[in-house]
Amino acid sequence: MDADKDSTAGQALPPEGAPAAPALSDPERWVELHGDYLFRYAIMRLRDATKAEDAVQETFLAALKGGRSFAGRSAEKSWLVGVLKNKISDYFRKASRETSFTDMEFYSDEESDRFVADGLFKDSWIHELGPHEWSSPGASLDSEVFWQTFRDCSNKLPKNVGTVFTLREVDGIQSREICAMLNISESNLWVMLHRARMALRRCMDTNWFEKKDRPE
Amino acid sequence: MKAFEPLKQRCGAWIWSLTPNCADMSRLASQSLEKALPLALRLKMRLHFLVCVWCCRYRKQLKFLRQAAPDLEQHAGVLPGRGLSLEARRRIVQRLQNPRGQ
Repeated sequence: MDADKDSTAGQALPPEGAPAAPALSDPERWVELHGDYLFRYAIMRLRDATKAEDAVQETFLAALKGGRSFAGRSAEKSWLVGVLKNKISDYFRKASRETSFTDMEFYSDEESDRFVADGLFKDSWIHELGPHEWSSPGASLDSEVFWQTFRDCSNKLPKNVGTVFTLREVDGIQSREICAMLNISESNLWVMLHRARMALRRCMDTNWFEKKDRPE
Repeated sequence: MKAFEPLKQRCGAWIWSLTPNCADMSRLASQSLEKALPLALRLKMRLHFLVCVWCCRYRKQLKFLRQAAPDLEQHAGVLPGRGLSLEARRRIVQRLQNPRGQ
């Protein structure tokens, strides 16, 4: 067993950027070509490095079993992403039967300090702290730093809230399907989405739109 | 124009008393992305948007983030950042070479 391990560890991995074989590339090269992409995909949803690594491993194993040939690297990647998606939803379905998805979540309203505390205009935006106009948001979409900020802000969301946001807004999965997958009520989902959007809007406001030295 | 200030304020306060407050509006703005809200509530929200520039912006910004979000996947996958650790990489390769193992 040990000798096996050593021989694998000592094996040279193929160089980066080498062209993909047009047919089913060999498993080692899968890890080299698609490992990072799949891991990032998994961690954005599972929010746990170990679970993400396991999901990637299971994806490759399932892919190995169902071996198919591909016209090119991107077709292979989207097929692997499809397998990974199923692994992730299987994980959520299984986990939600064992532990509640919401009971550990802390539901404080992060924006409550931005609303007037009392008086006639209680719970209206404090004018200086309310949302400012975002300048040329459309142009931001062409900036790599914008996407980096978006990714970092969504990673900063609390764990479960972040998962819900990614499933709903990035993957575009319908509310009902998410509720079934995570075993939560619709109103629970709404609260979590509200929190996610509020925190994300605020984070993007501070770190991108209101940033003085923002790169164009 | 100054003479109109008290009137303006009173109008604002009157509309304010008829519509949900901004904290509720922020919740409703998010909920309206998930399901069709009742007509009466939608009308009240409309009225609120007439007098509240902050809630208008909030709603606009949520919509912008929603439109942008689906593209995050393709960007996040290739942006520099954390990938598979060397150890996980080795473990997975080893496992793939010996799929029936363990």
